[in-house]
Amino acid sequence: MNIISRNIFKNRNIILLIVFFIIFIFFSFFTNDFFTYYNIVNLTKYGVEIGLLALAETLIIISGNGGIDLSIGSILSLSAMTIGVLSSKMGLNILISALIGIAVATLAGSFNGFLVSLIKIPPLLVTLSTMYIYDSLALLISMDKYGNAMPISTFPNSYFFVGQYEIFNIPIQLLIIFIPVVIILHLLLSKTVYGKQLYAIGSNDKVARFSGLPNNKVRILSYTIGGLLAGLAALTMTSRIGSARPDLGANLNLRAITIAVLGGTNIVGGEGTIIGTVIAILLITVLNNGLQLSGVNPIWQDGILGMILIASAIVNFVMYKKLNYSN
Amino acid sequence: MLKIKRLIKSREIIIFFTIIILSFFISLYANSFLHIDNIKNIFMQVASIAISAIGMTMIIITGGIDVSAGSIFGITALTMAKLSTSGVNPILSLFTGAIVGTLLGFLNGILISKIKLAPIIVTLGTMSIWRTMIYVISGGRWVLGIPSKALYFGAGSIGKLPFPIFLMIILIIFFSYFMYKRPFARYIYAYGNNPEFLRISGINTSNVLLFVYTLAGLMYAISSFIVVGRTAIVQANIGTGYELQVIAAVVLGGTSVTGGKGTIIGSFLGATMIAIISNGLVLLNVPALLENLILGVLILISVIADILTNRGEIQ
Repeated sequence: MNIISRNIFKNRNIILLIVFFIIFIFFSFFTNDFFTYYNIVNLTKYGVEIGLLALAETLIIISGNGGIDLSIGSILSLSAMTIGVLSSKMGLNILISALIGIAVATLAGSFNGFLVSLIKIPPLLVTLSTMYIYDSLALLISMDKYGNAMPISTFPNSYFFVGQYEIFNIPIQLLIIFIPVVIILHLLLSKTVYGKQLYAIGSNDKVARFSGLPNNKVRILSYTIGGLLAGLAALTMTSRIGSARPDLGANLNLRAITIAVLGGTNIVGGEGTIIGTVIAILLITVLNNGLQLSGVNPIWQDGILGMILIASAIVNFVMYKKLNYSN
Repeated sequence: MLKIKRLIKSREIIIFFTIIILSFFISLYANSFLHIDNIKNIFMQVASIAISAIGMTMIIITGGIDVSAGSIFGITALTMAKLSTSGVNPILSLFTGAIVGTLLGFLNGILISKIKLAPIIVTLGTMSIWRTMIYVISGGRWVLGIPSKALYFGAGSIGKLPFPIFLMIILIIFFSYFMYKRPFARYIYAYGNNPEFLRISGINTSNVLLFVYTLAGLMYAISSFIVVGRTAIVQANIGTGYELQVIAAVVLGGTSVTGGKGTIIGSFLGATMIAIISNGLVLLNVPALLENLILGVLILISVIADILTNRGEIQ
């Protein structure tokens, strides 16, 4: 069973990778501005932000018991506005503002985790309500004295280092944020006790508890790491576009969840890999960018994403069925 | 005595009194709150949420969720508006809109019940697909000049009673009766409690799911006719965030998201509470963005209260 399932997961990643290359080569040949240095760098920078959110969803969905985070985009908005307000309205040092912004995101994530595991509210409900709450808080702190929500675009130049520069032609945020995060998370899930515990509570909460695992701690930590990743995404995004708006994270939830599910994360929990999600990030980012450059109306992006979400869920289901029959 | 105790502890009674107290305080600070026109206004808004909430209540009782409600709502409104403005008979346009809603609900139901995908995944997917279709069909433009016959669901009235309120009352009575008395409704509750038991007892469980999602699609269509009937306009962003209001109403009304528990009346009271809060905030000149904050906190509080009281029952 273990060997078979491992093979299928490997196959799944290989299939995704092949699809990715086909799409990449297709757009390189048939879309004029796709395979250019400028576009690839741009695409990578965008991919980092949505990628961090997708990784957050991966961890949270793996933790099981209906794990899902609809508030991840709102956490990003709240964190981005915190950074903006602290540095430009309060005149705080930008480094400290950024750290506080990330801390706020981490706190928001752990609050979700707290409600989910200690009070045992289903994650869907928790994150639905905190989505409202974090969104409103982001709006609230962005209000000027007349009660209008104002975007903030007065960051010091040093802040743009993370989002707008490259070393050896490689975007900074890829180098110092995304790649380290991916490596750490991959090791965390595959090599540490915590990773084993996370998969265990995700696939069967009761069995894990009866075997003496600290279910609550493990689950809260997964939501907390999710919040931290959303904070990092807020940092890279505000730094790249040079402004903070209270609606930065709107509509990102669906994308993040779609990527995680496409990457092989099972929505009922207990299954999923960081590598799978990373490949799905590549695929979705290239697909969106290529379609846009080919002149497809951006309106179609979400619709296509929805179809991919359902299609990949069907594929997951069929594979799962095969797994059970072959067993 | 025990019965009275249980009645007092029941969610519906608690919300009912919360609504009374809330109304009392709002009316202290806003004179126009208890004016008959304002009350009519509030219940018109309740109708547009509560009718969808009938479908959503059943879905959540089965342990599912439907976040595509707002998109289905939007696409049925757009279908009806586009057809009726292009010269199709208004009644036929309404009918077609209702069929579209039912079919889209049916599609959700098929994916969830026959292919056994997770409800949240299916409806997240269909939510964005139908949202895209709304933008594509409308081209981002407003639809104006809908003939008055097609607006009857929102603008019509029976005697002095506005038609949407009349319709809401009829539907709530009918479906409450259905949920209390019909054997099929037992299966809906049973599915939420334990789908395996239901299957083992020889019931075709997938039909239960198919029914609730399809019915919900029809309910979203009816609600959209009410809203369009009142505003006489269909914008490209119609229905965004609508699903959250409906889900909030259902959850506030005491339906448990883990399934197996909930009533239509409860959801109606939940919808009333939301409508009163949003109406009261406008009358009290509170910034609109606080409405969502209050709604979010309210849902959390009610769920926490629910979980804490249930814990007491088990012990």
